[in-house]
Amino acid sequence: MDDIVIAILRSGTPLVYVALAGVIAQRSGIWHLGLEGLMITGACATIVGTVLTGSVGLSLLIAILLCALGSVLFWLVVEILKANQIIAGLGLTGLGLGGTSLAIQAIFGSQGAVSAPAGLPKIGAAFGAYGGLSVLVLAMPFIVFLTWVLLCRTRFGLRLAASGEHPFAARSVGAKPAVMRLVALVIGGAFCALAGAELAAGSLQIFSQNMTAGRGFMGFAAVIFGAGHPIWATFAALFFAIVGAIGIRAQLVFGDRIPHDLLLGLPYIATVFGIWLSARLRGGARGATGGFGELKDP
Amino acid sequence: MKEPPDVVLACRNIYVTYGEVVALDDVSINFRGGMIHAVVGQNGAGKTTFARTVAGLVRPATGSLEINGRPIPGGNVNDARSAGVELVHQSFALPPSFTVAEAMQFGADGGRLYTRAALERRWQAHLDALDVKVRAGAQIRSLTVEQQQAVEIARALVTDASLLILDEPTAVLSPEGADKLFERIRRLKERGVTIILILHKIREVLAVSDTVSVLRGGQLIDGPLPAADIDAETLASLIIGPSGRAIAEEDRNSLTGATPPTTDGAATTAVTSAPMLSLTNVTTLSDGDGPPLDSVDLTVHAGEIVGVAGVEGNGQRTLVRAISALADVASGTLEIDGHDMADSSLLSRRALGLRVIPFERNVEGLSLTSPLWENWSVGRLLSKPLHAAIRPDGLRRDCRAAFDDWDVRYSNVEQRAGSLSGGNAQKVILSREMDDAARLIVAAQPTRGLDIGATAFVWDALRDARQRGCGVVFVSSDLDEIFDVADRVVVMFAGRVVAEFCAPFDLATVGSAMTGAQA
Repeated sequence: MDDIVIAILRSGTPLVYVALAGVIAQRSGIWHLGLEGLMITGACATIVGTVLTGSVGLSLLIAILLCALGSVLFWLVVEILKANQIIAGLGLTGLGLGGTSLAIQAIFGSQGAVSAPAGLPKIGAAFGAYGGLSVLVLAMPFIVFLTWVLLCRTRFGLRLAASGEHPFAARSVGAKPAVMRLVALVIGGAFCALAGAELAAGSLQIFSQNMTAGRGFMGFAAVIFGAGHPIWATFAALFFAIVGAIGIRAQLVFGDRIPHDLLLGLPYIATVFGIWLSARLRGGARGATGGFGELKDP
Repeated sequence: MKEPPDVVLACRNIYVTYGEVVALDDVSINFRGGMIHAVVGQNGAGKTTFARTVAGLVRPATGSLEINGRPIPGGNVNDARSAGVELVHQSFALPPSFTVAEAMQFGADGGRLYTRAALERRWQAHLDALDVKVRAGAQIRSLTVEQQQAVEIARALVTDASLLILDEPTAVLSPEGADKLFERIRRLKERGVTIILILHKIREVLAVSDTVSVLRGGQLIDGPLPAADIDAETLASLIIGPSGRAIAEEDRNSLTGATPPTTDGAATTAVTSAPMLSLTNVTTLSDGDGPPLDSVDLTVHAGEIVGVAGVEGNGQRTLVRAISALADVASGTLEIDGHDMADSSLLSRRALGLRVIPFERNVEGLSLTSPLWENWSVGRLLSKPLHAAIRPDGLRRDCRAAFDDWDVRYSNVEQRAGSLSGGNAQKVILSREMDDAARLIVAAQPTRGLDIGATAFVWDALRDARQRGCGVVFVSSDLDEIFDVADRVVVMFAGRVVAEFCAPFDLATVGSAMTGAQA
């Protein structure tokens, strides 16, 4: 039992962080399809940074800064240049996936996997069988709680939500929706960096091309599944992780009797199912506030 | 409460432009404290721009503002709010998913972290103090428009506002709701709050305000004049201006809301012709776009205009969608010209002569990015088979001819529909929908946002259609225009037709039906 919970926490934690980033962006009025690109940037920066500097802490900081920078770029394109946010988000994802491959090629001269001398600190033997998990797994519930407090129990959160749902209302009490979105994206960028760091350095200490494998999009799906609420989106992300863990377990049980591609694909199938379910329950994307690509400010 | 200073708001040479359009042209005005000031004018006169400029939402190109003797830089909401200015918007600025308490909190200051219970306690006290009977935990979208407006006013008063501006507050209210609002405003005045009311009905202006100022075409025509010294007639001519001479006396009154409307009765000859439209016991499926229709009966004969009155959001949109085949009819019968059309497409309904002037001129009525001639010709292309060849030259020629008939001001049929003013855009729609084959015309808020000249034009077009024997459904939330134009009035409330009136109409009776009082 312990090992399956560990597997869920390991695969679920990056999803939760990236889903939180999506939730914050969605509340501010941006459907963030650049999560994947920011996440892989965070993963790459953590590993490469550790290789080059030898310090995990320093490279985590670099990852956060890089993702914040990417978020500012995204904000400039969407808010100042008024580009379509879906297209801009996909562009950011492309930039992240391509940019990290290019960076590895340029630094190491090959596109093979890069392994780091050290990973994220572990939570330690005090937790018994769970001691091998990274500190980011331990921090996850607290970060979820803090995000919930920030979004749902502070005036900042209300103004952020108003900026997304009714920008004119936000403006009429003196909030600046554009600035609120910048803040939301930068916070989200930091969360994406944590997600990437946990994925690459939480247990593996390795970076390979495209290693996020659509987890950013699954995080985005969790935002819709969770109707833009931080707690519900967290549960949605963990649900995807549970399905993934079951798939791996099923592989061991069923062996070759079930095509293993199908089992590997279970989280993605669950994502589609989740979106369908949320659409049935409350109108899906319409259930969350704001519409796709609409930033109306009459 | 400290004594309010002499001049609460001083505007000097305010000049506001939107692109090439001059919205406010050198406006200088002083408002004294502790009074109710009305700012009136027709649509497009610059009233809303004036309100937003004072509230800091619009930055004036030149000019200066002083509030309580303190100069404030324009275009900054926080500066205006800290100087004590609050604006209540015409379409409320309340995020619909918020609870009432959250909507209060997000505009207030003080208090950082909160629990839901503490938040609701805090704001329930505020609501109770203002005598707003709304639960602080209720969601904004579940409130009626009257309640939303009360909440919006309460929200504006979370800070110690000394100057409250209300932009067209009565536009969304029933006459009864408007009276309650004025009562609330008088109480605020007693508390020392200075109030600026943006209005367009003279009757309301004279009933509630201490002074009147008139805007026309972005310029201050006169004011502030003491309301006691001015009569409705003078005020009407100030608002309409010299170009409005050609408008009939009856229309002038309803355009400016000068006197309680009455009907001449001349047009209300007994209608004996066959019904053009007949809805019997129609109930529609709930589809998330406003309240569904609930057992609606409605008959419109050829040669009559039936006004559909009601506070906005009581099923008028669903009614129009049901008639134009955009809402699913669950039960009941819908007949057009004697044919059962409940399950028929809009195309076959149009073939029987149904024409629709939709609510949202710029969304449903026109494709703003398409040329005028394309916008005009869709009506005609719709009736042809998909593979029919199109001759653009012929269409353009017909389009020009139709536009000339309807007096559309345009430079070129290739220009985008979005480049026209509201009145001209509406004329394009009229020229498309009110063709010779039209027999049943559904006009949904056809005069919204139009200036006085264009409004009178639309009314005359509807009357002409009646003269030609068309049946007309005329949806409006403005009782003055309904009473002036319609032969018969039905009132909608919560998806039902709750009352029907024949001329002469009585404002009080129809108004109380709008609140569901006699349902």
